Amino acid sequence: MTEEKKSLVRMVNISKSFGKVKALREVDFEVGYQEIVGLVGDNGAGKSTLIKILTGVFPPDEGEIYFEGKRVFLRSPKEARDLGIETVYQHLALIDLMSVTRNVFLGREIVHKFLGLLPVLDMKKMQRVTEEALSDLGIKLQSVDEKIANLSGGQRQAVAIGRAVHFGAKLLILDEPTAALSIRECHKVLDQIVEAKAKGLSVIFITHNIYHVYSVADKFTLLDHGVKLGDFSRGEVTAEDIIEMVRTGQVKEGICSD
Amino acid sequence: MEAKEKGIRTLLLNLFSKCPGFEALAGLVALFVVFSFTATRFLTLESLAGIITVASELGIVACGVTLLMISGEFDLSVSSVFGFSAMVFAAMSNTAAPLWVGFLLALLFASAIGLINGLITTRFRIPSFITTLGTMMLWRGVLLAWTGGFGIRYWGKSPFLDFLNGQLAGGFRASAFWFLVLTIGCSFLLTKTPYGNYVYATGGNKEAARLLGIPVDRVKVINFIIVAIFAGLSGCIQFARFASVDPLRGQGMELEAIAATVVGGTLMSGGHGSLIGTLFGVLLIGMVRSGLVMSGAPAYWYQAFVGVILIVAVIINTRLREWIG
Ligand SMILES: Nc1ncnc2c1ncn2[C@@H]1O[C@H](COP(=O)(O)OP(=O)(O)OP(=O)(O)O)[C@@H](O)[C@H]1O
Ligand SMILES: [Mg+2]
Repeated sequence: MTEEKKSLVRMVNISKSFGKVKALREVDFEVGYQEIVGLVGDNGAGKSTLIKILTGVFPPDEGEIYFEGKRVFLRSPKEARDLGIETVYQHLALIDLMSVTRNVFLGREIVHKFLGLLPVLDMKKMQRVTEEALSDLGIKLQSVDEKIANLSGGQRQAVAIGRAVHFGAKLLILDEPTAALSIRECHKVLDQIVEAKAKGLSVIFITHNIYHVYSVADKFTLLDHGVKLGDFSRGEVTAEDIIEMVRTGQVKEGICSD
Repeated sequence: MEAKEKGIRTLLLNLFSKCPGFEALAGLVALFVVFSFTATRFLTLESLAGIITVASELGIVACGVTLLMISGEFDLSVSSVFGFSAMVFAAMSNTAAPLWVGFLLALLFASAIGLINGLITTRFRIPSFITTLGTMMLWRGVLLAWTGGFGIRYWGKSPFLDFLNGQLAGGFRASAFWFLVLTIGCSFLLTKTPYGNYVYATGGNKEAARLLGIPVDRVKVINFIIVAIFAGLSGCIQFARFASVDPLRGQGMELEAIAATVVGGTLMSGGHGSLIGTLFGVLLIGMVRSGLVMSGAPAYWYQAFVGVILIVAVIINTRLREWIG
């Protein structure tokens, strides 16, 4: 029990199949408090699947999940969110045709009761909070009334991250947040990840760009064809070692995983 | 040169986001000017009242259609619900029961049909176009079978019918008031309440909305119920005007309501639209109807004209949107 308290998330012995495809086989996965974990592996390695289990999109076939030392059963994304697990998905969970403010507060609107009955949106307050939440992460937008469709890829990521951080997430999960971003925007997102950690959050960061994740992560977990190759802390490996291991699917000689 | 174009662009962008439906309003004004030249009696209060009376009955249905379309679904069965509810109301009006009982029963029927449409669409995951095409035919068929093809008249007079759709001053009718109330009410719901946010999110990106914990299926079902109730209400309101109903009543209204909604700038694919736009769209269609007749064109040109307007409006809308970027 006391041992489990050391980590924010512990997933034990997770297996998941889709028909004949064994997407995950007996995978253990751990995230410490205020830790950035890079989850890496080739296409189809099972990264997104592992994350979807952790965020309640679907249950594992086998295995247990502990959050803050307590066993949890996540039956829906909402339950995961209520625990403090916020996800920025590979394909962003933003509504393009709605404004930044409305997106940030979607599903958690601030309302006041009109005539003590009808819930009415408090747009002013939501706009103010949105501006604050974004500028906390070093993000400046022209206007929070802008539609998401009119933002750049990096700005969209920023909004999604800002939303997660603002709503008191304990764990922030980013599935390929830097895909399709310019170099400069990538660096902004990486800065925001570090910023989130400084605010006390833990982060799981999935990407195919090892250099990106290497620059911010404390620890790496390598998956290959649904099997975990190992956990490596940053001190033990170089970025090139990780790239090599992702490519070959084997732990490089002379490196021992934790 | 370039700065000027950019200026226009920003202006349009602002118009799009701040004044929804301005395109339909522009079309409305243009047609108004044309008709005031071609039709001599067009610029009279009676003519205006006539336009608004027709537009209101269509508009009440279109309010619901807009709400539902923004959440990403269609309802073709509104025309049958319209006829069916009117018939229930009419049949009950000739019994000993007070009129309002028949009215409530008609709306109850309507909401049940809406609920069924919604449940079939969301549970079986089939396109609402198909669900409601099916139920449109189903309820029209049931209506014809029930009445044997005969209409019903109500001979009495009743303050309740006046309440629904009585004459006001200047040839205007109470339906205009109900239409306005519903437009404002729905507009408020859409733009000022959390539920409105859910509607836009459901139509804009269903998966994302679901991941954020929005009950997208429930939102759709509720909207199916709302549109059916509005269609039923409109049917009753029209019955109050004519004091009679025949079993083909409302036919074709489903497409007119969709046309008005789309002309008003609501996206067929969902996630974007406004009731103000639909208000202008409905007035546009109502104006075309009486404007053409008053200009001396045979009545059947009306449909052809609305068809052309629909296509032109959507082309302009799409183009403008692309151009703004
Ligand atoms: N919903 C699903 N139904 C069927 N098979 C699935 C489903 N989701 C994932 N899979 C399969 O499971 C395996 C792991 O997929 P997953 O999406 O977890 O990989 P990934 O590591 O995220 O890959 P990428 O880097 O390409 O995003 C793949 O073979 C994939 O085809
Ligand atoms: Mg993936």
